Amino acid sequence: MTMPVNNNDESKYAASARSFRANVTRDLSNEELRDNFRGAMDYLMDKRKSAFSNEDELETLRQQCKLIKQRCLLKLPHLLEQLEANLEANGIKVHWAETINEANEIIAQLIAAKKGKSVVKGKSMVSEETALNDYLEDRNIECLESDMGEYIVQLAKEHPSHIIMPAIHQNKKQVADLFTKNIEGFEHTTDVDALIGEGRRVLREKFCQADVGISGVNFAVAETGTLCLVENEGNGRMCTTVPDLHIAITGIEKVVELLDDVPPLLSLLTRSATGQIISTYFNMISSPRKEGEKDGPEEVHLVLLDNGRSQAFADEELRQTLQCIRCGACMNHCPVYTRIGGHAYGTVYPGPIGKIVSPHMLGLEATTNLPTASSLCGACGDVCPVKIPIPKLLVRLRTENVKAKSSVPEVMKGEGSGRKSVEATIWKGWSLIHKSPAIYKLSMWFATRFRGLMPSKLGVWTSVRTAPKLAPKTLHERVKARNSNTTHNNHN
Amino acid sequence: MSVNIQQHSNKAKNNILAKLKKQVSGADYSKLPTEQGYQYPEFSNQEYIDQFISHLEANHAQVIKLDEHSIGEVVLNELKDRGISTLLAGKDNPYTSQISDIDSTIAVEFFDFSLASNQQNKDKLFNDIPASITSSHSAIAATGSIVLWPTVNEPRTLSLIPPVHFVVVDAKTLYKDFASLITAQQWQSNLPTNVVLVSGPSKTADIQQTLAYGAHGPKELIVLLLNGKD
Repeated sequence: MTMPVNNNDESKYAASARSFRANVTRDLSNEELRDNFRGAMDYLMDKRKSAFSNEDELETLRQQCKLIKQRCLLKLPHLLEQLEANLEANGIKVHWAETINEANEIIAQLIAAKKGKSVVKGKSMVSEETALNDYLEDRNIECLESDMGEYIVQLAKEHPSHIIMPAIHQNKKQVADLFTKNIEGFEHTTDVDALIGEGRRVLREKFCQADVGISGVNFAVAETGTLCLVENEGNGRMCTTVPDLHIAITGIEKVVELLDDVPPLLSLLTRSATGQIISTYFNMISSPRKEGEKDGPEEVHLVLLDNGRSQAFADEELRQTLQCIRCGACMNHCPVYTRIGGHAYGTVYPGPIGKIVSPHMLGLEATTNLPTASSLCGACGDVCPVKIPIPKLLVRLRTENVKAKSSVPEVMKGEGSGRKSVEATIWKGWSLIHKSPAIYKLSMWFATRFRGLMPSKLGVWTSVRTAPKLAPKTLHERVKARNSNTTHNNHN
Repeated sequence: MSVNIQQHSNKAKNNILAKLKKQVSGADYSKLPTEQGYQYPEFSNQEYIDQFISHLEANHAQVIKLDEHSIGEVVLNELKDRGISTLLAGKDNPYTSQISDIDSTIAVEFFDFSLASNQQNKDKLFNDIPASITSSHSAIAATGSIVLWPTVNEPRTLSLIPPVHFVVVDAKTLYKDFASLITAQQWQSNLPTNVVLVSGPSKTADIQQTLAYGAHGPKELIVLLLNGKD
C-alpha cells in the first residue's frame, strides 16, 4: 500500500523476501510481537487438537484428502477445461492469467467496464499475491478489505501475517489505537465486542454502497461449475451477493473434480485451520442472478491465476506443493513461524507452506533464504491435512537452491541462486576425500595433527556456540590401538 | 494503455493448459488408488437431532423446539423481548399470518423488492429491517448446519443482512452428514444460483483470538425446530 507499484512483472514481495535476514532480526527483538504470536499459536494448536479427538477419523480423512487432491492434480488440465465449460454454461465468465499483472489488469478492466468505483473484497490470499489493492488504487479505484482481520491490516498499511488470521500480530490494544487514529468519532476502547461492532458499522455502510465485490475461492467444483467459499463473518456472502458485479480470483490448483470431493476437504480444512467442525458459512455459488431473482450479482467472473504454479506442477515431487488447501495448520505448529512471526518472511504466504510455495511465485533468487529457515523438525508435515511432505520439499528446494548451472532446462526459476563457490568447493573436496580411503586416511591424519590451527571463531556458528574441537587422534587410529592392546593382553 | 484482456486470457489459457498437459498426457486414470472415506457413525434419529441442536448451541445459536401452530406466537415473543417491531419475510412464508393475527402492531414486510441496481432498496434492507424469517431446505446433524436454498421468494440477502435471523427447520429434513445429504438429494444435477450452509450467527476471532458475534451477518440465529420430539 505504501510500496511503489512496479511496472515490470516482479512482485513487490520479491524485495521484502530478499531482506529476510534483516526482517528476522527486526521482528525477533520485538517482544510484544513475539507475545502476540506465541499466544495465537498456542490457541490455534489447542483448537485443532480438540477438533480431532478421534485419531482414526483424522488419519482416514487425511489419507482420503491427499488422494483426492492428487487425483485432481493428475487431471488438472482437463478439470480446468471442464470447470470453465460448466461455469460458462451457468453464466459465469472465466478468465485466465499467467502473471499477477495479467490478473490485475483483467480485474481492473472488468471493474472499468461496469464503471465501478467502490470495491469491497472478501478474504483472498491470491489477491494479496497479485497486490491487487495497489493496482486498483493506482487507477483511482478504492478497494476495501472487509474481513475484520484484513480490514485492520489495511488500516495499518500492512499485509496479512497469517493466511487465516491476518491480524494475528496485533493485540486488542494496538487495534484500539489504530481505530482511534483512523476512524472519526471512534471512542477508544479495548473491548473486543465494541471494536468488532465499530468495524461492522463502517463496513456495512460500504457493503451497502459498493458496486463491485471481489472474493477468493476455496474449492472450484468442475463437475457442477460451482465456486465454494468458507467463512465465519459473512463478509464473503456480502461481497458475493450485494454488489452488481462479483469477481472471484483463485489459483489454478483450487479446482476439484467432484461435488463429493467437497465434504471431506471442507471438514479437514475448517478443523485444521481453526478447530471448527464447520465454518459459520459455507457458500456455494453456481450462477449470477437469474431472471426474477431479487438479489445477487448481475455478472460473476472467475480469474484463474498461474503465477508459478505450473512450474511446481512440472516436477512430480514439487507438484505436491499444489495439494495445499490453505488451512494454515503448518504455520500454527511451526517453531520458526511462532518466533519470527508472519511478516519476517516477506512473502504473501508465510510459514512452512510459504517456504515451499513462494519460490515458485517469486523465484529462488528472491527466496533463497527461505528453504534453509527451518529446523526440519517435521511438525508441519505431521499436521498437514493433505499430507504434503513439507520437510522433504524443503530439502529438495535446498538442493535446487545450490545446484550448479547447467545446460538442461531449469526446474525452477532462479535455481542455483544460493550457490557459493567456497561452499561448493568445500563439498567437492569432502566428496573427493570420502571416495578414496588413502586420501581419507591422509587428510584425517593432517586434520588431527594440526588441529591447533583450527580457528576458535567460525562465523555465525560460534556466535552462540563454542567451536568444536578435533580429537588428537582419528577414530580409526584409536580403535586400532585398542585392538592391538587387547590382542597383546590375550597373549599374556 | 488498454490491453485486450480477452486476447490475453486466451493466450494465457493456451499456455497454461499446454504446460500442464505436457506433464500428465500419458496418465492412466484407471490405476488411481482407492480413496477410502470416513463413515460418520450411525445413530438413532433422536440422537442426530440432539447432535444437531448441541452443535448449533455450541455455536451460539438459539434453538427452540415447537410445533407449526406456535411459530407465530414464539416469534412474536422473541421479537417483543428484543423490542423489535418489524419482521421481513419471503412472499410465500406460511407463518407470517399467524403473527399478524395475534398482534397487528408488528409490521410484517415481504421481500418483494429487488436489490438489482437499486440503492434505495439496499439502504432500506441495511438500515430499516431489524429481523427476518426464512425457511430452510434441509439440515446436517454432524456439524449442526442448516441448508438455505434461496429462491425468488426468499432471496439470498434475506438471511444475511437483518441482524436477527429466524429460520424454520424441520427435523424430518435432517441428514447425518454433508456427504450423505449431497448423495441423497443428488445436488450434482440441481444446484441453484446459491446454496449456503449456516451453522450459527456471524462471528469472528480476528482480534486477539477473542470470539465476537455479529461480525457482518446476523448477530443472532434463532432456529425454530419442528418435529424435534423429546
